[in-house]
Amino acid sequence: MTDAILVVLAASTVRLAIPLLFAALGELVSEKAGLLNLSLEGMMLAAAFGGALGCFASGSPVVGLVVALACSTVVAGLQGLFSIVLRANQIVSGIGLNIAVLGVTTIAARALFGRDAGFTIPGFGKLAIPRFADLPFFGPVLFSQSGFVYAAPAVALLIALLLYRTTPGLALRAAGDEPRAVDKSGASIAAIRWLAILVTGLAAGLGGAVYSLADIHTFTENMTSGAGYLALAAVIFGRWRVVGTIVASLVFGAAASLQFQLPALGVDFLPPALLIMMPYVLALLAVSGLVGRQSPPRALALPFHR
Amino acid sequence: MTALAAILRRASTSSAGAVLVALLAGLLLMALLAPSLPNALAAFARGAFGTTYAVGASVNRAAVLALVGLGFILAFRANLTNIGGEGQLAMGGMVAAAVALKTDVAGLPLGLAVVLPALAGACAGGLWAGVAGWLRVRRGTNEVISTLLLSFIALWLVYWSVHSDALLRQPRTSATSLPESEDIPDGTMIGMLVPPMHQGIVVVILLVGLVHLAMTRTVWGMRLQAIGLNAASARRAGLSIPRLTIGAMLASGALAGLAGAFMIQGEQYNLKAGFSSGYGIDGLVVGLLARGSAPTVLVFALLFGFLRSGGIGMEIGAGVPSAVVLTMQGLVILAVAGMEFLRQRQARGVP
Repeated sequence: MTDAILVVLAASTVRLAIPLLFAALGELVSEKAGLLNLSLEGMMLAAAFGGALGCFASGSPVVGLVVALACSTVVAGLQGLFSIVLRANQIVSGIGLNIAVLGVTTIAARALFGRDAGFTIPGFGKLAIPRFADLPFFGPVLFSQSGFVYAAPAVALLIALLLYRTTPGLALRAAGDEPRAVDKSGASIAAIRWLAILVTGLAAGLGGAVYSLADIHTFTENMTSGAGYLALAAVIFGRWRVVGTIVASLVFGAAASLQFQLPALGVDFLPPALLIMMPYVLALLAVSGLVGRQSPPRALALPFHR
Repeated sequence: MTALAAILRRASTSSAGAVLVALLAGLLLMALLAPSLPNALAAFARGAFGTTYAVGASVNRAAVLALVGLGFILAFRANLTNIGGEGQLAMGGMVAAAVALKTDVAGLPLGLAVVLPALAGACAGGLWAGVAGWLRVRRGTNEVISTLLLSFIALWLVYWSVHSDALLRQPRTSATSLPESEDIPDGTMIGMLVPPMHQGIVVVILLVGLVHLAMTRTVWGMRLQAIGLNAASARRAGLSIPRLTIGAMLASGALAGLAGAFMIQGEQYNLKAGFSSGYGIDGLVVGLLARGSAPTVLVFALLFGFLRSGGIGMEIGAGVPSAVVLTMQGLVILAVAGMEFLRQRQARGVP
């Protein structure tokens, strides 16, 4: 394996892991509070679309990012309406939202951007950090990426602090394990879960925006193509912990980037499909407790009735 | 007046009500997007019912959705949510194609050439769902998560099988040979009723009756319901929850697997990556809407079968994106999910 390929591999691992990481960290917050959002995919797709829309209309990627976050938060709000207010089946409503978002973004994209793909928007470029970008290996891998990559550790830290070092975080984690006890203590389960799902919406929005604003400067139908489900798998494989989720996202990113680099590495005995399916296999093994101990929040996906 | 209110209240909490609301929303969307609504509707009707071919294709699609939907309600009877119909469908299609292509079944008499690949497909789908059942029983794994993950694994297994020369990929005769399997032998294809409608339709109708009877008139069906309603008391009554859970998942997946075999042997005749795309989710929706009734599965399967074909017709004929139909489907699911709220309020006696 030559060094050049290794650098490309590591750099694309980071690049591909970042959107998953944002979404998975956001979903972690919801799941800790007892909400399961299959609509994570819809949130990401809505954000990818919103990013392109905002940027297309204003010419500014910053506006694009704001619109992206607004769009994913709307989807999160709808999921909250179903999961928290209507106490609907979270899985069913999540799937419904995904299908509806796919339909709406496809229609809207055709109406707004025209039928022919290939329109481009300004988007965010690569942001090389002076001096650090010149470091061997780490320079290209960590310090010549889009701004999203630099924001990721900060978001991870914020979410870890929220969950484990604040009072709302304590209540939030309790709401996912013992909602009845939290309710008795006088805290509002609904308010806690709303907080959680809004965090999820924003984080998933960051993840979705990466696709249209940083990776490729355009929007295509069904652009996220399952990234949301992959992020859900990352939460499971990360065993509902912050560090685990980060590692899981990086592992999934590595699997995705490896499939593109296999030919360059001269590996032809390993089918790419095997690498693409590996994250799901790992998640299945993790959720089955076949590797390590699993600890999903006890009230996950259960509507709360007083 | 009160009678009218009662009817309205019942309609507002039935699946039919949800579908109606979503269809109206879809119509509104069409009116917004289509240059001319009558043209769009005409194109929709032509795509769904216009020709014998259109009707046949819609019915074939409905048959697949019905089988997946039946599988869903069967597992749901035991309070198991099998959302992995897509993967079970894919496994069924892949294994049916493999048996048809890689074994000598094509020469067998008495219809075995057709039946054996289909049965193999059903077994494959059943086993794929059975894995989720086994994990649930042995490891306590939530079947929603496991069937979802298994679906993705199945889709990539199909992708792999048609991309690998050692597996099902057709020989590379030219640089343009697509990553697909060869056509299955003529002997393994399902015969036609009225082309393109295949004879599997008859089997589907029989299975609707059979599943209905199994769920409502057999001891097994009652036991599934018992563990679904109250697992603890079912266990105290001496029922084997592991056996019933795995059995329900096996049967549920087998129905979806059979649907996959029908798609390959009755319509597509070769295996492509993504051949099952969207069918599993549609089938899941059909199962959800039917609220546990097998005959109702058939009704919604037909509705969705024609809806999809009509949507494609509308896209080609009137330039209205078929994503309108997709949006409508999403709205149907959301309406059904949200209605649970009204139903619970009603159950508590809140007007």
